Amino acid sequence: MNLLRTLQTVDRRVLYALLLLSVTIPFFLTMKIPVKISPSTQKLYDTVESIPEGSFVIFGTDWSAGTRGENGAQTEALMRHVMRHKLRFAILCFDPQSATLAQTIAERLQPEYGYKEGVNWTNWGYRVQEVLFFKALANDVVNTVKADNHGAPIQTLPVMKGVTSAADVKLLLNVNPTNTYTYYIQFLQGPFHIPMVFACTAVMAPEAFNYVESGQISGMLNGLMGAIEYEQLLGVVGRATKDSNCLSFAHLLIIFLMVMGNVAMVLERRAKKAEFSYNAAGGSQ
Amino acid sequence: MNAPGAVSVWLTANTHAMVLWIGAICTLGLYSVLYKENKIFRFFEHLFLGLATGYMIAINWNDVLLPKWWTPFFTNGEWWWAFALAVGSLFYFIYSKKYNWMARLVIGLFLGVGAGQQFQAFVNYVWPQIYTSFKPLWAHDAIAAVNGHPAVKALNWGEARNNIIFMAILLCVMSYFFFSFEQKHPVLKHSAGLGRFLMMFTFGAIFGSTIMARLALLIDRMDFLMNDVGGQAAGPDNGPKLVFTVLLALIALVLYLSLRKGGAGNGDGVAEEL
Repeated sequence: MNLLRTLQTVDRRVLYALLLLSVTIPFFLTMKIPVKISPSTQKLYDTVESIPEGSFVIFGTDWSAGTRGENGAQTEALMRHVMRHKLRFAILCFDPQSATLAQTIAERLQPEYGYKEGVNWTNWGYRVQEVLFFKALANDVVNTVKADNHGAPIQTLPVMKGVTSAADVKLLLNVNPTNTYTYYIQFLQGPFHIPMVFACTAVMAPEAFNYVESGQISGMLNGLMGAIEYEQLLGVVGRATKDSNCLSFAHLLIIFLMVMGNVAMVLERRAKKAEFSYNAAGGSQ
Repeated sequence: MNAPGAVSVWLTANTHAMVLWIGAICTLGLYSVLYKENKIFRFFEHLFLGLATGYMIAINWNDVLLPKWWTPFFTNGEWWWAFALAVGSLFYFIYSKKYNWMARLVIGLFLGVGAGQQFQAFVNYVWPQIYTSFKPLWAHDAIAAVNGHPAVKALNWGEARNNIIFMAILLCVMSYFFFSFEQKHPVLKHSAGLGRFLMMFTFGAIFGSTIMARLALLIDRMDFLMNDVGGQAAGPDNGPKLVFTVLLALIALVLYLSLRKGGAGNGDGVAEEL
């Protein structure tokens, strides 16, 4: 009985310690737990591949430092693909921190793929009021955006050549930990039938699958796991792949603890029931 | 005269290292709440909130108000931007008991704009959800395009089975939300009960995903401490080992303090002091 009770009342700091060990020890392991590519990740990859080289795409990043663990890895994986596939892109942010965070990732990756800011990509910077911005952008990109985040007029940038309205945008990518991705669906994807792909935090995925099922979103990355799968599809070892063992070990630990706690609870209940029956029968049998 | 120059050169040369060390100290300070509620955690929590708020104010000024309002108004002489200031200021009358009707004017304006936009939003957002819910339930061969009707892809029995499951779940869950009348009919009663049960799967998935999301954030921080900070402190090979050793020592200390007789409570930690 004591062991069963102990298993259900473990001090939470012991659990935290176990969790910390389960996410740090895998950094020293060379083994690689295989990852199966989920259909939504594969669809996202295929959608990006289906866009003709040189097309212009909007790369929306709306995350802040708080969700860097998931959205940072997703942004890096998607940006690698966009650069490898030679697409022109503009970073667009509705979160104050995101313009800087996405800029840092793009600047780090650009030498690897021979990209140059202003020529192959640009950063439209932080914008406010998604609805009004999208409605204006759809008809007149130049006068809505006006300048990039360095203050350069966008009509002077080679990356913006031939981009005047929503019709010239061939793909919408959005990395977003909130439900503001729906503005992209409501005011760009829906009215102009621009394919849209989405990378969300794991907590949002069950809800966002509705849009994948309905075809409004053409592919989706589900949290850090989605980024790991995407790096595997790209054949690169990025930050997400390095963290994949940690995620697997942490999941195994949590499943183990849940099973142990529940088994202990069931066994304790049975033991108590048997003890009650024994006492009710006079305790003489 | 040389001293400030030397400090400036040193700061420039060591900015990256300083950023990493400040990040490490903040991370450990915030994680100290895992032991119990304490002043160090409170300090870093307020520091983070203050930084985030200050950053938001600064970027809203630099990226929005300065280029879109201040410069056109004061530098370019576009006088009509004065109306934006006047209309925007009306929001602050919400704090006045006598004049809060003026705030309601501008709030009403924005409500109207928002409501109008929702018509378009609803059509683009919800309507595709509705019509893609109508799925074929019977396997069939491909149908060619005839008289303007688009071609239809073939449907095998596996896909048809999935569609049947989808429709059954959809109808059960929808029947749960009939609140306008009492669900007395046995069919409706059971389908609503099943719908409620099926929704529990979704809530379970959301809860599981939440745990996965939180773990990803923890892994990112550990990656930062071990590879970025550790790499800076002792090189890419020995750095992670060094940080891991420090973490082990911290874990041992926390467990000793927590589990010793008369230790630091059970970890609920409210109103406890370090």
